[in-house]
Amino acid sequence: MTDLDLATVTNLTRADVEDFLYREAALLDEWRLEEWLDLFTQDCVYEIPPPDLPDADTARSFSLVHDERTLLEQRVIRLKKPTAHAEFPHSRTRRQITNVRILGHTGDEVMCTANFAVYRMRHGIDVVYIGRYEYVLKATPDGLKIKHRKAILDQSVLDPQGKVSIIL
Amino acid sequence: MTIRAPLVVDDRERGLFRVHRSVFVSDEILQREREEIFGRSWLYVGHESELRKPGDFVTRRVGGRTVIFNRDRQGTVRVMLNTCRHRGAEVCRLTSGNARIFTCFYHGWAYDSTGNLVSVPDGDSYSASFDRHELGLHQPRVESYRGFVFTNFGPDPGSLLDFLADARYLIDLVADQSETGMEIVAGVHRYSMRANWKLLMENSVDGYHGLTVHQTYFEMLMNLGITPPGTDGNRETGRGIDLRNGHGVVTNPELGSPLMSPEVVVERDAHRVALAARLGAEHAGRIAMTRNLGIFPNFVIVDLNWGIQVRTMYPLAPGHTEITGWQIMPSDDSDSMRRYRLGNAMSFWGPAGLATPDDVEGLEQCQRGFASVNEVEWSDISRGMVKPTPSIVDELQMRVFWREWNKRITGTGYEAEGQPYDAGYLRSDQGARGTTQTGASR
Repeated sequence: MTDLDLATVTNLTRADVEDFLYREAALLDEWRLEEWLDLFTQDCVYEIPPPDLPDADTARSFSLVHDERTLLEQRVIRLKKPTAHAEFPHSRTRRQITNVRILGHTGDEVMCTANFAVYRMRHGIDVVYIGRYEYVLKATPDGLKIKHRKAILDQSVLDPQGKVSIIL
Repeated sequence: MTIRAPLVVDDRERGLFRVHRSVFVSDEILQREREEIFGRSWLYVGHESELRKPGDFVTRRVGGRTVIFNRDRQGTVRVMLNTCRHRGAEVCRLTSGNARIFTCFYHGWAYDSTGNLVSVPDGDSYSASFDRHELGLHQPRVESYRGFVFTNFGPDPGSLLDFLADARYLIDLVADQSETGMEIVAGVHRYSMRANWKLLMENSVDGYHGLTVHQTYFEMLMNLGITPPGTDGNRETGRGIDLRNGHGVVTNPELGSPLMSPEVVVERDAHRVALAARLGAEHAGRIAMTRNLGIFPNFVIVDLNWGIQVRTMYPLAPGHTEITGWQIMPSDDSDSMRRYRLGNAMSFWGPAGLATPDDVEGLEQCQRGFASVNEVEWSDISRGMVKPTPSIVDELQMRVFWREWNKRITGTGYEAEGQPYDAGYLRSDQGARGTTQTGASR
């Protein structure tokens, strides 16, 4: 870590975080998943807690997702294949990211949160996933990276959503 | 659409088995299922480990009813219909908690944890014929086997043990895995699919779809250095077995040990040695296999060693199903083993797993295909019908479900198929485990 990186994080504004999150959302909506994966650190975690227990430890409960780097890479490899049947043909998605807030800094990391509405359209059926993100973003020589990305669903029962076959 | 006949064709001479696709789309069929199956069959409610302390309760939907599944102040596990005897409102509106009293907020009638009506505001205004002792929460029959609690809404259910038939041995292979008991893990997956509930019962015990539907999952395993059975060209591994009364299972050699750290390998091996010492090598070897167990009508246990999925499903409409999925694991597993199991379970099962969404996609595609039921009337479930010992990619275990389903819906029964379950690995002291009858019917 260099002083420059630290300065980058502590000087980060909400607009900087919004730019980052909007760019990330665009990569996901455009199914540019390899580029999206490049936004993550090697020690990253992507997680979705169990819908009935949003505060649960995702590694020690029956969560929806607890991906460390290895599994996250496999998730992306899978989703790009035509044999990932639930997403072939791909859903169209549209992400609305709002209420972005910086919650604090630790060293070269910044904690932030945002609300989301992710619309998924496929086979003439539209569903929406509602919830909140928690991020830990880290300043690196290659720019801001995602160390921790948690999508907390407000829906406790996934009806009519059914699948969470996209990246949420 | 009226109910046609036959709905299930079981042609033993020609080795053909067919199911009429109206069973997946007809409202009349669904109505009959609600009466003849969900109104009369033993249905899985939950596991005793979900109710640790006296007063603990969960509310959930079972067979279309909302029930309170609780442990009363004396420690007895109960199932009570969550409807006030006064005007019908649900008396418990939380999904879980601990309670001595369930008070209906509408007019204030209150019930204790055994279901007795203990308070009626301004109760002295009722006539002498008003007997509050008759107005406790309705309690259907409840019995449990090895911690798995079932209820039956019918008037004369018979015993759970008789109903489970040989499926009890498969439940034993799960329950035997821990001396301290198995426990349901925190976190429940509740989700829906746009397909008929019976398609998921089929799919849950279907080995034939594994390599096609889950190709990306198997490729993921191979990317991580695992060679799962069936991927070497020989798919005819394992066995499908008729467990009687509509229950069926496929068992298979274990799937491999993905995402396993050296630390967990040591622990897993030590656990297996301890199991063999406790139960005998043959019995422990049986436990180390995988099993996809379907218990009629809507209860599934899929034990893939590194994770054990417990699942129920219920029809909201012919083409709309609510699904509930849990994980169960040994209560004495270490933290590293717990993380290993759950990591694999999440990578496979659930709405965001790398496998389940593709299953649901397949079943929803079937349901869309049933729009052509008038032109393409029959689904085929004949695979392996002429074999003495059908394998995991055959369909015996689905035919078992359909024969029982047909008996309940149309009254026509069919003969069992194949060799019965061989429980010869059991030592004499392990053969006779009983059920626990619990609560009190009201």
